[in-house]
Amino acid sequence: MSALPLAAGEAQVHLTSQTRIVAAVIAVFFMLLILDLIRRDRLQERYSVIWFVAGLGMLAGAAFPGLLELVAEAMGVRNTNVALFSIVLLLLLGLALNFSVIMSRQAAQITRLAQERAIEKALAEKQSGEAGNGNGSAGEQRLEPEEKRL
Amino acid sequence: MRTLVFIPAWNEEASIAEVIGDVRKYLPEADLLVVDDGSADATAERAREAGATVASLPFNQGLGAALQTGYLYALRNGYDACAHLDADGQHPAEEVARLLAEVTADRADLVIGSRYHAGAEAVSGDYRPTFSRRIGTSVFRFFLTLATRQRFTDTTSGMRAANRRVMALFSQHYSPDFAEIESLQLAVRQGLRVEELPVRMLERTGGSSFLTPLRSAFFIFKGLVVLLVGQFRPRQAEPER
Repeated sequence: MSALPLAAGEAQVHLTSQTRIVAAVIAVFFMLLILDLIRRDRLQERYSVIWFVAGLGMLAGAAFPGLLELVAEAMGVRNTNVALFSIVLLLLLGLALNFSVIMSRQAAQITRLAQERAIEKALAEKQSGEAGNGNGSAGEQRLEPEEKRL
Repeated sequence: MRTLVFIPAWNEEASIAEVIGDVRKYLPEADLLVVDDGSADATAERAREAGATVASLPFNQGLGAALQTGYLYALRNGYDACAHLDADGQHPAEEVARLLAEVTADRADLVIGSRYHAGAEAVSGDYRPTFSRRIGTSVFRFFLTLATRQRFTDTTSGMRAANRRVMALFSQHYSPDFAEIESLQLAVRQGLRVEELPVRMLERTGGSSFLTPLRSAFFIFKGLVVLLVGQFRPRQAEPER
């Protein structure tokens, strides 16, 4: 698509009413699907907000085409459909990034969990070993106060 | 003064017992911990037979996470100093003892055993780095020196000794992907005294290096990105000790 400024006199390409109806129907189904996923515990509420906003945005775009045309004009795009695609693409990019952030946080949490478990098991093993042979090693167990809180 | 020596190990059943024996010989007072990074072989069993305490991660998490486990263990259990070395037999425990001596004498917070440090050439006659490793080493050496304004020669060395300040820092912040380099950058940025000591290293007795040429290239690229990002990381508040 050319990003040239609008040529004088050329008509803007609007959304047809058919597109608007299809978009509205999809948006409604989409939001129903999200509600259903939450209802069946397949999706946590905190991750559903962003999807719900996306669904509402879709519905708003279908109901008030003037909004989209304003955006298209601001972007310098003659074809409103192109503006729509661009917005959706940006939204998906943002969502993907959002998931990478969540994934990174969860990876860090999983690592820490694995480490804590490994350390606890090692300490338990060491203590039972020391209790077993009685004589104890050079560095006897001395738990720090912070250790006991865990 | 209580000292912990820990050894991160991933599928090193062939060499782990020998390494533990070496540490026992040269560092008889130190406690020994093997961090088994989800090994599929008998690494943990061999280590237990050799008399080490074993902390087994339930699945392979990478070297960074394994090292962090060691630092966390040392911090939690009140050790005054800790050191780690590779499980493949490259690092003589005799040299680790020298690194630990620097830390216990409080001449540095973190001491790195360097294969390439000026003066180490004569000492490390047994160690012959591969071509791709040599390229990676010089690239990292250059950029880490640039980033930290401190001269580093062996940025990927897995033989280190540290005190409690370092334990506190590394148990909170340790990159799982790029452990060695980012940790040096982080320590210097935090104002810790990081020092390199020339050491003698040996050919590996077991396992194989993970550095194929293609991987090396990717490794270098990733390292540069990590270093760049690391320069913009906020400094951490010094954790309570």
